[in-house]
Amino acid sequence: MTRRPEVTPVALTRFDTKTLVDAELWDAITEKNLADWEAKWTPQLLKLLEALYDQGVERALWPQSRHWDWRAKTRAIETRLDQQCFAIVCEGMTQAMMITDLTRRARLAGQTNDHLVYVDFVETAPWNRREILGKPPMFTGCGSILIRAAIEFSKLEEFKGRIGLHSLPQANSFYANKIGMTDLGQDPEYQNLRYFEMTPESAEAFINEGA
Amino acid sequence: MARKTMTLNLSDAEMAVLEGLCDKKDLSKTVLMRQALRLYQRVEERLEQGGKLFFEDEATSEKSEIMML
Repeated sequence: MTRRPEVTPVALTRFDTKTLVDAELWDAITEKNLADWEAKWTPQLLKLLEALYDQGVERALWPQSRHWDWRAKTRAIETRLDQQCFAIVCEGMTQAMMITDLTRRARLAGQTNDHLVYVDFVETAPWNRREILGKPPMFTGCGSILIRAAIEFSKLEEFKGRIGLHSLPQANSFYANKIGMTDLGQDPEYQNLRYFEMTPESAEAFINEGA
Repeated sequence: MARKTMTLNLSDAEMAVLEGLCDKKDLSKTVLMRQALRLYQRVEERLEQGGKLFFEDEATSEKSEIMML
């Protein structure tokens, strides 16, 4: 991607000192982000997978995003109008990335068939993922910032904050409890992943909560 | 994101459809036209790859193909 991203100032929390650190939300995934993913994320993820393998952890519990190829994903949608990418950069390093889709419709009663922003892919850097580290992450807050970005994007597109996503098992609790999305259960047409949706009201509550 | 402005000339019938859809979806004309363009681009891309566009009746599983102009 060649477009220069628009940058929004955000803040992550450095986990060990509990201090806020200046970060940037980009409305694109650029060559720099992809280089970070290739050179920094992937080797660390492989090390983590090796550790999980050595510890005898069953494959079902390995991070499902291990197969994701962000370069291929972004190349496939480079000229598409219906998909929008985001990235978080902090201390010169990409900390998280997200791809959204604007052509999906809502399923939740009361907003069925309404437009929403569907979060297609979201991943944080391996060093920020406590569920696979088994130790404290470097930064927290990436997931909340990206969900907030999806909500704001939904409002910008006049979708009133409605968002939807299929959650990987490790993240079900995050979307249900921390974000406040409605769990519509397993989706047999999407690898049995649980589908979550947010109403304008729950989006507003999440934004106002400042989580 | 920087935006460019254009004038769109529509017939009365086309404008009525546009306004009807805007009312139904609670969207402005600009957003609705942008959404239509996204959908058109996506459908066109799939058709170019050899795909076909169908509607499927959930109850009967009956499929009807949409012919794109």
